[in-house]
Amino acid sequence: MSGLSIAIIGAALCAALAGCGSAIGVMAAGKAAAGVTSEKPELFGKLLVLQALPGTQGIYGFLTAILIMVQIGVLGGNAVDLTAAQGWQFFGAAMPMAITGLVSGIAQGKTAVGAIHMTGKQPDASGKGITMTALVETYAILALLTSILLIYGIQL
Amino acid sequence: MIVPMKFVTLVILRDDREQVLRALQKQGNLMLCEPQDATRAGAQAGAAMRRMEKLIADIKPYAPKKKLFDELPAETEAAFEAHNAKAQETAEKMETLLSEIHELKERFQKETARLEQLSPWANLSLPVEALRDSAYAVYTPGTVPIKHAESFLQACADAGISCETVSETETTLYVVVVSLPGQALNELSENGFEKVLIPLEQGLVGDAVKQSKEAVRTAQETLDKRQEELRTLASQSHAPQLLCEQYRAQSELEDAPFIETAQTVLLEGWVPADELENAEKAIKSVTAVYDLSARDPLPDEDVPTKLHNNKTVSQFEGITNMFSVPKYGGYDPNAVMAPWYWVIFGMMMGDAGYGLMMVVLILLFKKILKPKGETAKLANVLLYSSITTILCGVLFGSYFGETWHPILFSPLDDPVRMLILTMVLGVAHIFTGLIVQIINSVKAGHWLDAIFDQVSWILVISGLGLFFIKPARTVGIVLAVLGAVIILFTAGRAKKGVVGKITGGLVGLYGVTSYLSDILSYSRILALSLATGVVGMVMNMLAGMIQGSVIGFIFSLVIYIVGHVFNLVLGLLSAYVHDCRLQYIEFYGKFYEGSGQLFRPLSINPKYIQIKDNGGK
Repeated sequence: MSGLSIAIIGAALCAALAGCGSAIGVMAAGKAAAGVTSEKPELFGKLLVLQALPGTQGIYGFLTAILIMVQIGVLGGNAVDLTAAQGWQFFGAAMPMAITGLVSGIAQGKTAVGAIHMTGKQPDASGKGITMTALVETYAILALLTSILLIYGIQL
Repeated sequence: MIVPMKFVTLVILRDDREQVLRALQKQGNLMLCEPQDATRAGAQAGAAMRRMEKLIADIKPYAPKKKLFDELPAETEAAFEAHNAKAQETAEKMETLLSEIHELKERFQKETARLEQLSPWANLSLPVEALRDSAYAVYTPGTVPIKHAESFLQACADAGISCETVSETETTLYVVVVSLPGQALNELSENGFEKVLIPLEQGLVGDAVKQSKEAVRTAQETLDKRQEELRTLASQSHAPQLLCEQYRAQSELEDAPFIETAQTVLLEGWVPADELENAEKAIKSVTAVYDLSARDPLPDEDVPTKLHNNKTVSQFEGITNMFSVPKYGGYDPNAVMAPWYWVIFGMMMGDAGYGLMMVVLILLFKKILKPKGETAKLANVLLYSSITTILCGVLFGSYFGETWHPILFSPLDDPVRMLILTMVLGVAHIFTGLIVQIINSVKAGHWLDAIFDQVSWILVISGLGLFFIKPARTVGIVLAVLGAVIILFTAGRAKKGVVGKITGGLVGLYGVTSYLSDILSYSRILALSLATGVVGMVMNMLAGMIQGSVIGFIFSLVIYIVGHVFNLVLGLLSAYVHDCRLQYIEFYGKFYEGSGQLFRPLSINPKYIQIKDNGGK
């Protein structure tokens, strides 16, 4: 397999896995938020913020994929002729974001569900719920950083 | 700054209670607390308020649509305080109209349903009482699906049963079957025949249909008329809103706890020290017979916290309160936190174009929706932060995701430099927190604690930092070792026994990991600024790809607008949440003790109307 193909698989996995994680997370949070909204429609705004939180992993995955595409020239139309080793390097660089995006998206969704229930019972506590949910995201951000630094570190 | 409070005890005559409380409520400077064995005046106003809220919700479909830039209906203070018989009347009229409309709608539905059931039988030439069973014949009205019509008629003919077709629709045949008493109709049922009851006692069905049609028409007409009346009424008057707010204020008064004797009542509560005079003035304006005594809070009392900061800093108070309200007698961190929040927010967004969009959108939001309270404060925080966003955008050369002449450098081209910058910023932020704690400790006389717990860490962290700068390497090593030694020997000082002290020191030194992870946590600033920049860049790229023709150009405009607004909203959410997190965990973790209780005075907080001062304040 050519290096380019391997790098593209890496980029694709990154966007796909992180996107799946976020989709599951946002889905779980959305179901909980819908339940709370049915009883307390006035909380919709606060709940929407909580529901949106697990969505960032998908964006980070997408972002990493785009960065890889820019580096290997797929987006510009002049693809770089990568060696197989370089291809694997890009693949490896994509993995932190891909794996952490998938897992942390789901985990953050579960935390968001808890925070949404809390907000349903105590609307004033939504700020605390947001903080608790945001703590999970730390690891997705660290993974994103690792991926970005790795992508930029690869010698072409 | 936390405002000093006084605990007040007020004794007044029973008859003056409502008047005095009303005067205090107007000023909004007394937070009542509940003495033992307290009573309350009742809960009628609360019920009345909920009734008005229901009315407001119910007439919403009939009220005129709120237009952009519309203000809430205004009332003068005098009108708000006066008992308003006319408003009562209007509200009652609205309620009557609503219940009439409800009834009419029900009648309309009932009559329509009856008409639907009757109309297929309108052609029946016999009055319904003639269909009752006699000794020689049984009349059974019923329906047959049209597709079975032929086989049904055949079955009738075969069984020797007579059958009269009354009417026919596209799907159904309406028939009256005349059979002998005792004759089984199984055969017919198999062919789709179903018995139907004609919902009429006597007379010709045709007449009943005419009556029913008339009833439907009248119901519709009256309904239209009543709805129109309600619409006119709702567009002319905001009586329910006014009454609701009056009841809301009244209900707060009713909820005020007090102790009563035969002639007097006793009220207890908190008043800000500088408002004490005003509160007394308010009481004096009602009665000359009162006793007001004030004292300083006792050491172990739960005193409510009222924050007083300048206008800019006070906008950030909500962010601290969301985490934990400062404790009375503690330290109000808002003045230190606000500039950091401001700067970090700007770095996280870090795009001049988005900064400009923020300015425009927030100003529009404030103009159109006129937010109040916490929402307005948050909008102001974002508005302030748009300045740093533009500034950082210019410094790092980011305009709607495109890089253009950065003054410093572009984070996208040199992420490592940006990473170091964010870490340095993080260290400065954490040091600020430590220094605040040092100041607080020294003020409280615990200056040794400050050296052992805060100065030591400042030495370790700055030493480790200097280690990476070649010329200062030796200085760095000395500082770090000095700090580490202090920690090793003092972190276990509260423990008992030699073993406890040694393990305490080692555990204390292990705290270096938590400081490192705190500092690394600031790398999120880089990640978020990259995220905003790259997603913006992608939107530009997508739009650029389809810009071949005129149609492509129009589509690209759509992508530009939708894409950048989407990215802006997501960026704002992330920056808001993660900036809060950096303040709460990395910063407040170093010095802040919250768990206070907010000062919520007895006051008037209208939701549906605004009260305008006559004299103009």
